[in-house]
Amino acid sequence: MTDELLADVVCLQLPQETRMSGIVRLAVSAVASKSGLNLDQSDDMQTALDELFRLYLSEPNPEGTLCFRFQILSDRLEVVTQGISRDLFDNDSKLNRYSRFILEQVADRVEEIPSPQGGFEIILVKNVAQKLS
Amino acid sequence: MTRRSDNSLSKEEIQSLFRIYKGSHDPKIKNILVRAHLDLSHSLARRFMNRGEPLDDLVQVASMGLLKAIDRFDPDRNVQFTTYAVPTIVGELKRYFRDRTSTIRLPRGLRERAHALNNAVQRFSQEHGRSPNVAEISQEMGISEEDVIEGLGSIESSAVASLNSSSAEDSDLSLLDIIGGEDKTLETLDERLSLAGAMSDLSAREQNLLYLRFVEGLSQTEIANQLGISQMHVSRLLRRTLQSLRQNLTMPKETL
Repeated sequence: MTDELLADVVCLQLPQETRMSGIVRLAVSAVASKSGLNLDQSDDMQTALDELFRLYLSEPNPEGTLCFRFQILSDRLEVVTQGISRDLFDNDSKLNRYSRFILEQVADRVEEIPSPQGGFEIILVKNVAQKLS
Repeated sequence: MTRRSDNSLSKEEIQSLFRIYKGSHDPKIKNILVRAHLDLSHSLARRFMNRGEPLDDLVQVASMGLLKAIDRFDPDRNVQFTTYAVPTIVGELKRYFRDRTSTIRLPRGLRERAHALNNAVQRFSQEHGRSPNVAEISQEMGISEEDVIEGLGSIESSAVASLNSSSAEDSDLSLLDIIGGEDKTLETLDERLSLAGAMSDLSAREQNLLYLRFVEGLSQTEIANQLGISQMHVSRLLRRTLQSLRQNLTMPKETL
């Protein structure tokens, strides 16, 4: 919680429509650059959020919007995805298993918590790589 | 002294072989002519390096251009074969880039910036053994971070890469075969097996790319070094491949 207070926060709320996926990627690229992630890591996060966004495109969503909350910390980038009803950790769905597999490969941490507003929040964490050179 | 285009054939010999080939279309003669000019097609392919396409693919394309040039060349015209072949091969390479790598034509300024960005990223990665961040590219190129991000975005939107075409270099080994031999992490076995059915519809190159990234755990820069292409190209290919995989998974005719 202390970390969250120290974070710079950027919020992106956008319609749950396919044509918006490019905006998600561009936003991740911009935020990742402020976090100090390198291009590999930035691309990983773009892959992760693209995957999440596409997973939730087909989901019923009364609000019709998805919200990404980027928390920029000194050593990592955290992204909280809000406005989703699908349980990513429901193993009955093949698509869930696939998406989770991708997310777990490209993010350093993947968490799901119940949202106070109902549904779930997915938290993705990417640590900033230590520069060796 | 007659300058030779390879160790064994003079220009005169090549011209006379073309005359024989024109009348006979003998594949053996064609093979000799191809071998005599492979250096030319390779050297033209190399001119198009560092534009995001693997050299092996470029050599294949240039070789196709060479074959076309050999078939179409008229030895009775007073022109050297190389004079005729160079524009044919270069045309084939340009067509390849036009058809395969770009669906949106960017303004020249953005294209140049994208090209410079690509070079800067490759240079940095080679020097430091890791990919740069935006601030580092910005410093290297002397442009603002916003311009870098805009350039990266334009590269993404302008090129739609595909690995769907098969080529001779494709391995017959499927990802499922590879995973079967190397699976060490039981935690993700279920996920991997779920992917396997959908992966069989991907080309061997696409499977290899996914294997390197998600099983071997290589970074995009490491994959780029291994395949001899740019990190940005790996990024586009991965995105494209993941989209194909997702489509395969959501298709109604599932066999999983």
